[in-house]
Amino acid sequence: MIQIKDLEKFYKTEEVQTIALNKLSFDVKEGEFVAIMGPSGCGKSTLLNILGLLDDPDGGSFMFNGTEVAGYNERKRSELRKHNIGFVFQSFNLIDELTVFENVELPLIYTGVKPAERKQQVEAVLEKMQIMHRRNHFPQQLSGGQQQRVAVARAVVNNPKLILADEPTGNLDSTNGNEVMDLLIDLNEAGTTIIMVTHSEHDAKYSHRIIRMLDGQKVTENILA
Amino acid sequence: MFKNYIKIAFRNLWKNRTFTALNVVGLTAAFGVAILLAMYAVFQLSFDRFHEHGDEIYQVYTEDSGLNGIEANISKSEPFAAALKDEVAGVEKITRYVSTGVLLSQEDKQFRMSTAYVDPDFFNMFSFPIIKGDKTSPIASESSVVMTELAAKRIFGDENPIGQTVTILRDEVEVPFNVTAIIEDFPDTSSIGFDIVLNFKSQNEHAYARTVGRWDMENHEVYMQLSEGLKPEQFEKSTADFTQLHYKNEIDNAKRDGLQPNADGLYRQIKVLPLADVRFANFNQGPVTVSRTMPYLVLGISTLILFIACVNFINMSIAKSAQRLREIGMRKTLGANKKQLFFQFWGESILVFLISIGLGILLAVFLLPYFQTLFITQASLATLLNPSLLLVLILSILLITLIAGGYPALLMSRLGTLQSLKGKLDVNGKNHLRNSLMVLQFGIAILLISGTLVLWDQVEFMRTKDLGFNKDQVIAFPLNGQLNDQQAIELLRNTLQDKPNIVSITASNNILGLGKDGSRSTSVLGFEHQGRGVETHMVVVDADYIETLDLDIIEGRSFRKNLASDSLSVIINEAMAKQMNEDDILASQIDLDDAVYSVVGVIKDFNFQELDQNIAPMTLFALPNWNLRNAYVKVSSQNLEQAYTDVKAAWHTIEPNAEFQGSFLNENIDRTLRHERTMITMIGSGSILAIILSCIGLFAMSLLIVAQRKKEIGVRKIVGASVSAITILLTKDFLKLVVIAFLIASPIAWWAMSKWLQNYAYRIELNIWMFLGAGGIAVVIAMLTIAVKTIKAATSNPVESLRTE
Repeated sequence: MIQIKDLEKFYKTEEVQTIALNKLSFDVKEGEFVAIMGPSGCGKSTLLNILGLLDDPDGGSFMFNGTEVAGYNERKRSELRKHNIGFVFQSFNLIDELTVFENVELPLIYTGVKPAERKQQVEAVLEKMQIMHRRNHFPQQLSGGQQQRVAVARAVVNNPKLILADEPTGNLDSTNGNEVMDLLIDLNEAGTTIIMVTHSEHDAKYSHRIIRMLDGQKVTENILA
Repeated sequence: MFKNYIKIAFRNLWKNRTFTALNVVGLTAAFGVAILLAMYAVFQLSFDRFHEHGDEIYQVYTEDSGLNGIEANISKSEPFAAALKDEVAGVEKITRYVSTGVLLSQEDKQFRMSTAYVDPDFFNMFSFPIIKGDKTSPIASESSVVMTELAAKRIFGDENPIGQTVTILRDEVEVPFNVTAIIEDFPDTSSIGFDIVLNFKSQNEHAYARTVGRWDMENHEVYMQLSEGLKPEQFEKSTADFTQLHYKNEIDNAKRDGLQPNADGLYRQIKVLPLADVRFANFNQGPVTVSRTMPYLVLGISTLILFIACVNFINMSIAKSAQRLREIGMRKTLGANKKQLFFQFWGESILVFLISIGLGILLAVFLLPYFQTLFITQASLATLLNPSLLLVLILSILLITLIAGGYPALLMSRLGTLQSLKGKLDVNGKNHLRNSLMVLQFGIAILLISGTLVLWDQVEFMRTKDLGFNKDQVIAFPLNGQLNDQQAIELLRNTLQDKPNIVSITASNNILGLGKDGSRSTSVLGFEHQGRGVETHMVVVDADYIETLDLDIIEGRSFRKNLASDSLSVIINEAMAKQMNEDDILASQIDLDDAVYSVVGVIKDFNFQELDQNIAPMTLFALPNWNLRNAYVKVSSQNLEQAYTDVKAAWHTIEPNAEFQGSFLNENIDRTLRHERTMITMIGSGSILAIILSCIGLFAMSLLIVAQRKKEIGVRKIVGASVSAITILLTKDFLKLVVIAFLIASPIAWWAMSKWLQNYAYRIELNIWMFLGAGGIAVVIAMLTIAVKTIKAATSNPVESLRTE
């Protein structure tokens, strides 16, 4: 599903150039669950942003479903993103002014799904995430675990092929963290490809493969299953 | 999606209640006031536009070479109009026009009626539709009277007025008139106003019969309708022969006296002024100038105020967008494109604007009665209810919303996905824009404040200036009763002679300042003196005129108590003496057609006209049985109020049916300053609103900046910064903007105000303190505004501010 080869990303300030990704290469197959680990500043989040088509690489190749997407403009990236990729963030990134239902509904609005169909899809995913009873609450009224469940619901409501999770349990206690991990496992088992950035060895163990990074490069790759 | 936008817009507005309130309050005030000001300006600009043939109607005037350069003269002689129509091609219709007041009686009731004396063409030229009676030639007869619906209702109540007889006092005789037609009440935007219309020939002997066939007696205005397709310039050119024929003497004399011809090289030229320009024309200073400055100034102020409120909106929206970065980023991540985001944010702006416009309209409706009283205007919101105007208004509102709401929306929708998701906002560029806008806001406020200060100073100067006559102790009122003027004055003297607080009584045919009845007239006399043409204002007075007004005699004597013995004497002012240029002025004579008058005294120049004009030559006559029009009563300074009551009571005994329209001369002078006072109130309230709105913006900015720099403040305090150091740190950036605004606005204000002051022959000197004062006011108000938030931030516990970071 994903092939990256010699991927490069630099950050420049007036005097210093920092290398965030240094000729990084790996593949992810459809249905895989890959964890990416490494110390702060090793380039994990940069990688995730590029994989999520939120950012552009400065060099190398990025094939998504057999198509080179490295040079895509914002409009094309946005189009590809909204139909194929779901995001889960450490800080949930729910919109405070929208209710649970409305937050989850948002991706469907932007992909042009009709209202009746939207309602059906959102309710189905809320049921699945077991937060249907909170549908009219605002994010501030929920616990962290519940908020992340809403975020996951929002990430999957479009049935994306790929979910990118950036430390999804980072802001949660272990019980809530485990619950979120269980959700991701379920999704993966249902066929969704997952790439997760994490600091937690515990969470990483849920994945099929762990890629460890340092200074923008891949240092090791452990296959768990 | 639309529902989603609306929902989130409302929730966002509610969440940022303080900012929403600041924006809505500011925009509501701005829209409310802008609506009222626009209404006022449109009302002014729409004067005389309702006449169907308005585009073809012109006022006729002449440009004459005078002693002081070119003079515009709208007064025409009795034979002029008919001759012009007969002798010059292109005059479709023409009418003479005099506006005055008459005393009308019906059975035992009496009414003071504002009257227009016109020729029959009047009703074919102007759109004053006749709704009852003779529609074809209502004033063909000299004993016909046409009245407005309102006047007819006043006189006859519900009775049918057509065919009824009323009497009008003319030359001390009650003359019967037959009501032939009723015209529809006309709009308030008519500069020609009247209760009744009479045939031009129905005027009194003095105004009409005496002048028949005389080209040298000019006492009325003339309006004409040009033939379709004829350009006014073409017409003006074609009058050359006519002028040469009828004004040969005047032209020859002007050449002889070495006067300057006008721009076309002519010594007298007939000119026409479009009807729509008449209200805005100035005939007093050289060639006619048409200036719509006042309504455009008012429109300008309303635009500036809207601009200031919109700047607040833009600045607050951009500053607040920092708090919505995550939302923007998330929406983009989920697939929203720029267009969708733009419409979302723009929609939110539209919502704020719609709420504010709605409240602004309510505010305007609420303030309307106060506005009408304050600015003495008939303008109402109905003025704005005209399809094309409404379209312009709606388009301007859309444009304002598009720019003020659209710009921040555009900025937000263009933010990078990742950048906004990370909550990073590149603020450098936007600060330039914000700072420039704030400089503009304060610049406008300072401009308006200094304008108000200068205007106020000039008006105070004009109000309190020693005009050369006693304005504090003299009551003037029109002789508006049934008795003839001499009888009325005699009775007044008799009635008041025992009153200790009455000093002296006189009368004259002119009024100083503007009387309560609003009427004013002036007669200018031109004659030959020592082989040169000279001009003088002619004022006919009763005994004690000089004494009552406390005028200074610098040579010779005043008129005798026995006025009849002075009927061939005149007293002149210094300007006239200078013009006559005699070695022994008291030995000189004035030779007029009817008699020779001896100069018996010279009085010190006094400002008998308004202060935008230099003191002109003036001659006082003591002609018997002249129409004197106004009484002047000098009272003792002890109890002015009691004296006023005594004079009023006396007038009631003498003329029980006439309204007493007396006022002290200083009130009359105040009345002449109405235009200036309106300007002060307009610009003054504009400047107050401008500074308040600018400060609302400043306050909002200080709120945001303090929030943004909370951590910095905490750290600075921990490393030892004092409260005052922090306050200065937070204040100085804003104060810098106000100072820059002052540096930009002051020279502009200086330039504009010195240009405005040129309109006045008597004016104040501009002085730097007026501008420093305006700047000072702005700085102090700005400092107080920011101080509220900055001092609080500076005195807060630094640990708290660090913790929240």
